[in-house]
Amino acid sequence: MFSNTCTGGVTFFGFSVSQFCNFISKIRKRKTYIQKMAAAINGVFPATLQELVKKSKVLVVGAGGIGCEVLKNLVLSGFTDIEIIDLDTIDLSNLNRQFLFHREHVGKSKARVAKESALSFNPDAKITAYHDSVTSTDYGVNFFKKFDLVLSALDNRAARNHVNRMCLNADVPLIESGTAGYNGQVELIKRGLTQCYECTPKDKQRSFPGCTIRNTPSEPIHCIVWAKHLFNQLFGESLEDEDISPDAADPDAKEKDGADGNGEPKDDGKEKGEESKEEKEAKEDTANGNILRINTRQWAKDCNYDAGKLFNKFFNEDITYLLRMSNLWKTRKAPVPVQWDTLLPEGSSGDQKDVAKQHHKVWSIEECAQVFANSLKELSAAFLKLEGDDTLAWDKDDQPAMDFVAACANVRSHIFDIERKSRFEIKSMAGNIIPAIATTNAITAGISVMRAFKVLEAKWEQCKAVYARLRPNARNYFLVPDASLPGPNPNCHVCASDPAITLKIDTKRMRIKELRDEVLVKTLNMLNPDVTVQSNGSILISSEEGETESNEGKLLSELNIVDGVILKCDDFFQNYELSIIISHFDAERDENLFEVVADASQLKPKDEQTEVVKDKEDEPKSAKKRSANGEGDSKDDGPSTSKRSRPTEVVEEDDDDCLVIEEDEDQADVVVVATDKLSVQSPPKSGSKRKPSEVIEDEDITEILESSDDEPAGPTKCKRSRLDDPSSNPVAVISID
Amino acid sequence: MVVDMDTSEIAVELTEAENELYDRQIRLWGLESQKRLRTAKILIAGLCGLGAEITKNIILSGVNSVKLLDDKNVTEEDFCSQFLAPRESLNTNRAEASLTRARALNPMVNISADHEPLKEKASEFFGQFDVVVVNGATNEELLRIDTICRDLGVKFIATDVWGTFGFYFASLQKHSYVEDVIKHKVVANSEKKKKYETVSIPTQRDVEYPGYSAWLDFDVTEPSYLRKLKRNGPGVLLLSVLQKFRATHKRDPSYKTREADLELLRGIRDELLPNSILGDEALGLIFAQISPAVAVVGGVVAQEVIKVVTKLEAPHRNLFVFDPETCAGYVEAIEAK
Repeated sequence: MFSNTCTGGVTFFGFSVSQFCNFISKIRKRKTYIQKMAAAINGVFPATLQELVKKSKVLVVGAGGIGCEVLKNLVLSGFTDIEIIDLDTIDLSNLNRQFLFHREHVGKSKARVAKESALSFNPDAKITAYHDSVTSTDYGVNFFKKFDLVLSALDNRAARNHVNRMCLNADVPLIESGTAGYNGQVELIKRGLTQCYECTPKDKQRSFPGCTIRNTPSEPIHCIVWAKHLFNQLFGESLEDEDISPDAADPDAKEKDGADGNGEPKDDGKEKGEESKEEKEAKEDTANGNILRINTRQWAKDCNYDAGKLFNKFFNEDITYLLRMSNLWKTRKAPVPVQWDTLLPEGSSGDQKDVAKQHHKVWSIEECAQVFANSLKELSAAFLKLEGDDTLAWDKDDQPAMDFVAACANVRSHIFDIERKSRFEIKSMAGNIIPAIATTNAITAGISVMRAFKVLEAKWEQCKAVYARLRPNARNYFLVPDASLPGPNPNCHVCASDPAITLKIDTKRMRIKELRDEVLVKTLNMLNPDVTVQSNGSILISSEEGETESNEGKLLSELNIVDGVILKCDDFFQNYELSIIISHFDAERDENLFEVVADASQLKPKDEQTEVVKDKEDEPKSAKKRSANGEGDSKDDGPSTSKRSRPTEVVEEDDDDCLVIEEDEDQADVVVVATDKLSVQSPPKSGSKRKPSEVIEDEDITEILESSDDEPAGPTKCKRSRLDDPSSNPVAVISID
Repeated sequence: MVVDMDTSEIAVELTEAENELYDRQIRLWGLESQKRLRTAKILIAGLCGLGAEITKNIILSGVNSVKLLDDKNVTEEDFCSQFLAPRESLNTNRAEASLTRARALNPMVNISADHEPLKEKASEFFGQFDVVVVNGATNEELLRIDTICRDLGVKFIATDVWGTFGFYFASLQKHSYVEDVIKHKVVANSEKKKKYETVSIPTQRDVEYPGYSAWLDFDVTEPSYLRKLKRNGPGVLLLSVLQKFRATHKRDPSYKTREADLELLRGIRDELLPNSILGDEALGLIFAQISPAVAVVGGVVAQEVIKVVTKLEAPHRNLFVFDPETCAGYVEAIEAK
């Protein structure tokens, strides 16, 4: 067999046979230098592309489902200078698609194992692996500047936002990709040329008001969230806002004859002013949350984790207390407390273990009690073994932790007459699992690297976003390129020259600490912001530890942060400055205490917006979040419209690949379906025709629930809507007849 | 447990290990589909880069068995995308060289290699499989196998990638599948919030897929098709040119003789359809098999195999074309004459 590989930069290859053979024989003697990947073999690629591939340095962010595929495609294509970063370790459930990993790799670093496996495909490649979070401050703008191209294959919005900002800052083209089930998406993000990842609002993360969770659940997810909070109360890190006991401050309860803290019905005024007692109590609850919680935890410990006592407390006494808040049940079906003894009259035991293993069966209430007892035993034993203040971390893949949540959620569902679910289904919801398959990842990663070629060649116009779908659109396309390459959103809160957002916020109920933690960090993805009041320059929040501690517990209104005030936020590491225009509103019972409106012009601030002039930096900057690839918390509430208040939200993390979705035509509905109940907004249809009115989609997708395992599921990212050209729906354009 | 798999075809429930390994996909296509996959026997003929990609995806999905058939040896060209064959395997049989890595992908799947030429395989050989996927074969050979498969009721898929351009043709005969038709229903329309509920109705459908001869009879130069060609790009035309090249020269264009072969390709193109939209640039991207394009086509083909086996969702009917310039993937319905 001929081996006409050439080394180095020889780009021309002669056809004379004798010459050729001569050449070959020489090369054969120097085998160690032979490079065989596509770009190393002359004639495979057009010459210019060949050179570009050989000399480019690329960064792959994420070594999950898409990342493994991308890495394979890169080394086989002849890229030889590659860095890859992922903070995750390999899990058994990754192996159905993350093909660079095998059983013996479970528990090891994804980035490192991916590197080793990829090197076996092309030992000549130089790959640097980082088992680390891309949001770590070790990877600043200068790190990003080293690369000709960044390919991101992340599974959560926070890390995506961060990488987006870093690439904008460093002015490095970014190819962003994601998948969820059968759907995949690839898009180019380049400073000044295209929309950035944060130019369009992403679907909100679904979150639930505390009183829905604590007092009036109406869907399985409410009970699941509650059960996770219960886990944390007993064994986990107690977070604020995760109280699981009845919330006496529920405005609905007091409307007319609510219950007060002692459970005695009492006539409370509905006026704001008169609510102050409850309000205060509620505030105390929040402020002293830890103490109360520790009490619950301590109490459980003092009871020796007696299953019957705990069960009765959570599922009988607390429910009975709720019943006394009679106002709540005027328009709702009242809960029915359950009693331990009637479910498990002593001699329990039996085949309990087997019940918990029936993941696809909906357990009876008795079986739930059984599983509750067993998992409680295991968890408490594990908890008591911990040292000091260590706590357990809830993990959907930890069997007793998952059993516990499934059992508790179902018992609570039973009490509130809500449909019970199988452990399998509860795991999806509790863990925000996004289904993931090898084929979609392969297709998406393939498109990603195809786009990388175009980026290297600077053929920007040919880098339109591409969506992979299960079913073909009206034009019979199921890998659907966008019709245009949408430019930056001039009002983007990240990449605009002078970014500003409007923050609708209940200034009478939100505290400064919450402003920082919930809004700036969790929602806007800043790392460590400094905040000043524009009008007088006073420092509200400082990145220096302790400097503004005294402000933390204060309400915004107490510091005169009221409607119309403009705050200037600056995150040094991210090189990100943002003006926030405060717009006060009184949050209703089931509303979140704040909402970010990305496009400031949507709400007119009282002050003129133009005042918000800051020095310009033309770029957006980078940004944040601490959990990069995947792990950690992946909250994904998009910046844009995110919300959340003292919430309770579901999100968590999880797995890998993912993202995306969105988009086009017919599918749009589908996406909506995926999001399901939440908010169904109909996709913008610009004149495109769509098939019948029925939308077809795999039902499983619907089950996904919005959020993800990997990334937010659902519809996570919305198609970049073209701000300027409403008619650019791919279908519309393409389909001519 | 791995050993048991041989006889587990009829086993009803998935094992705990399977449930864990396949968790993320079961959440997408359901338990029933996973059980069907477990009984499926697949033939992959042609272990080029595309064959390797399809093989990888099919094995990961958890089918019962995969047979790798190829009488060719590993060449350096394979290292552009054939990641199952290690470098040391240069000049050894491609199917056999792929075995070790293929097995490592999923120990629960039975994987075997066969180095006999495809041409010598007769009817009873193909009868062992539920789905036969062939790449790298001539039209003549593809027609022969398709005919055999149709006689036997075996589903057949022909596919190929040249450079970054690829296609497949699905000859599935009469295929029944279920798809969920989802409708939105407004269940409550209270003050501000509209509540929607989605109702999904599993619906069975039966569709007839014509044989490979339908594609051979297809005339890309027919005036009625020209308009479509303009709209979708030159993919179908390019496919015709490349298959003609293979038939005429008994080989594919080679990067080793890049310029000469480009000349031959241009000749075929101009003879087939003068002044077409198939430009020289597109012809320059058809050498060897480029990894990312092969990943796309291999992913699509594997997903079709999964659809066929699980009888869930409609397989595309029936000619798929991947356009590397735009990354569009579309389907042409090629009807029998």
